[in-house]
Amino acid sequence: MNLGKVAQVARREYVARVRSKAFILTTLLIPGLFVVWGSISGLLQRTDIDQLRLSVLDFGTGIGANLTEHLEGIEELPIIIEESFEVGPAEQDAVRQRMSNLIREDDLDGYLVLRPDDEILARAQYFARETGNPVIIGRLERAVSVAVLENWFSGEELARLRRVQGADLETITVSDEGEEAGGFWVAYISTFVLGMLIYMMTLMHGQQMAMAIVEEKSSRLIELIIGAVTAVEFMAGKIFGVLGAGLTQLAVWIVMGLVAVLFVLPGLAMADGLMEIGLAEAFSIGTLSYFLIFFMLGYVMYVTMFAAIGATCNSTEELQHAMFPAMMPILIGFFSTFYVMTNPNALASRVLSFIPLFTPFTMFARVNVAEPPLWEVWLAILLLAVAVVLSVYAAAKVFRVSILMHGKRPAIVDIWRMLKTA
Amino acid sequence: MPAEAALRCEHLVKTFDTTRAVDDLSLEVSPGQIFGLLGPNGSGKTTTIRIGLGIYVPDGGSLLVLGHRDPLEVRDRLGYLPEERGLYPRMRIDEQLAFLGTIRGLPFREAKRRAGTWLENLGLAENAKSQTNELSKGMQQKVQFAAAVIHEPDLLVLDEPFSGLDPVNTRLLKDLILEQKTRGATVVLSTHRMDQVEQMCESICLIHEGQAVLTGKLDEIRASYGKSTVRLDYDGDASSLEGLSGVREVRDSGRSASLLMEPAADPQEVLRQLLDRVRVRSFSLEEPSVEDIFLDKVGYDPRHEATS
Repeated sequence: MNLGKVAQVARREYVARVRSKAFILTTLLIPGLFVVWGSISGLLQRTDIDQLRLSVLDFGTGIGANLTEHLEGIEELPIIIEESFEVGPAEQDAVRQRMSNLIREDDLDGYLVLRPDDEILARAQYFARETGNPVIIGRLERAVSVAVLENWFSGEELARLRRVQGADLETITVSDEGEEAGGFWVAYISTFVLGMLIYMMTLMHGQQMAMAIVEEKSSRLIELIIGAVTAVEFMAGKIFGVLGAGLTQLAVWIVMGLVAVLFVLPGLAMADGLMEIGLAEAFSIGTLSYFLIFFMLGYVMYVTMFAAIGATCNSTEELQHAMFPAMMPILIGFFSTFYVMTNPNALASRVLSFIPLFTPFTMFARVNVAEPPLWEVWLAILLLAVAVVLSVYAAAKVFRVSILMHGKRPAIVDIWRMLKTA
Repeated sequence: MPAEAALRCEHLVKTFDTTRAVDDLSLEVSPGQIFGLLGPNGSGKTTTIRIGLGIYVPDGGSLLVLGHRDPLEVRDRLGYLPEERGLYPRMRIDEQLAFLGTIRGLPFREAKRRAGTWLENLGLAENAKSQTNELSKGMQQKVQFAAAVIHEPDLLVLDEPFSGLDPVNTRLLKDLILEQKTRGATVVLSTHRMDQVEQMCESICLIHEGQAVLTGKLDEIRASYGKSTVRLDYDGDASSLEGLSGVREVRDSGRSASLLMEPAADPQEVLRQLLDRVRVRSFSLEEPSVEDIFLDKVGYDPRHEATS
């Protein structure tokens, strides 16, 4: 193999990729998609309300007044209490009718009904036009339960209860190296985002690569190239070129991400939440190093499969049908990460993480979420590396035989024959 | 043997599935000449060329390219213009030329410099930054030729270089090919254009059904046929040329014809018969043309597809 020629093919491929409209568009648009996605989930958490006009109807529990005080004290929600009164049994239906009509006429946003209950003193109902905002519902729930508790307890007992109620569950990840606070959210975010990157980039670039090869084949360029460079040099060059383009895209995104984290986010209100989640921890050096290993090996393996399939096709239409087998491992790998993340040490997860076709996704997820024994991680990486070498070797053979063939596409049986003989 | 052959094939065999594309083919191309590779469609010309360039590995026989058994060892000294042209549709042509130079071993800077020079010489300097699909077909063919020779190969293989070219570009291309010969390159020219072969080639090899049916110096081949062909210009009915005694085959072109005589026939006798049948404008006794030889060897079959 002549490395100089591989480099020339790689250089052309890299330049062609990086200059292509598809590359420039995805490089700019995909971070945009992440921002949109982030904003939407951010919006779900936010309460974009100027004021919330509520009324409190106490159907005989006696805690209505107390609840009203607590509602007015909620900092996050600008609640205005329109009316708060006790309602006798006879008037209940009529009053509710009146309140609901107020909502329909937009003179009221919602009202709480407190009904007496034998077991927990009071059951609350919230009537409103909008009941989908989890933040509002959460705050109202807490206000009701506080009002109930204050009615039942007092003094030191009440103070202790309030403290218990305010305590969150803190998660700490235990690993060989030590203990680390942060836990699930950190791992979840980084695994999901980085896994998504591998998924998108291999699918996108793999298909582009297969398409480019079919184009070279159908324009008969290939005849000019093969002979000057061998099929193996040609394929290796293309893979390096595409990998280079992938890494370039990644570098651009990382820079964009850093700029966002360092300069843009601090100015935004939602940044606090993200910092709480621990953005810095989510994308730590350790995580990113593992990501690079799995990304590069996985990328080469998946893209190679697309290259081999591209070499067997004569037209883009044919390619559309033929590409599915190369997409399968990427799809399965990515979607099984959701299972692996929640059950990182289950047998199925461990098995999945040792099958090289899925390792880039599954082992990466395990490493991030559970910190499995080091030997398992490196064994999986080793297996993956062997698989990469094998897939490059196999693809080179298929490539060498198919690249000049026109006419009928080889069946699986033919491809098997190529592997044995070529 | 005088100088080492630029290309020598001995008993080459190449089989695809059940078809034997090349069947025990031997030929030798002396250095510094323009060599014509002739043969009907599907005769095995392109397969032979691909074997010589190291694109295909032969199933049998031996090969010597510029003194090496494996063409890949000398691949940077080979140039190739494939029959079916191909350039990257969406790539600047100057970069394209430079790329095709680098994969034939030129350093990147040198390849870029030469690409610029070639485009200048071909009158395409203004189009250097255009993409292939913005160029006319003639321009694309010029670029394609430049791609084949940018690294100054010692052995240049041109597969149907004239197909689809107008007379002006044909003339230009012919000059470019002769320039390569002057530079010292050996040129293998595969073509259907018999007139071009006659004008340019010193030696030929006629391939038919995967075998070399005729090979050698063009002058010698034609001389071996002797002056056994009558070149006739006439006015009259073509059917009246049928059944002439002493003539084994008539190739009529309407107002002129080639009459292939039987070995012992007397040209005087043939002329006498003709005078009775048609109005003779010109009658000459000549060596056969390459076209005559081609048709004679390959056999004329009207059902056969015309040249591609």
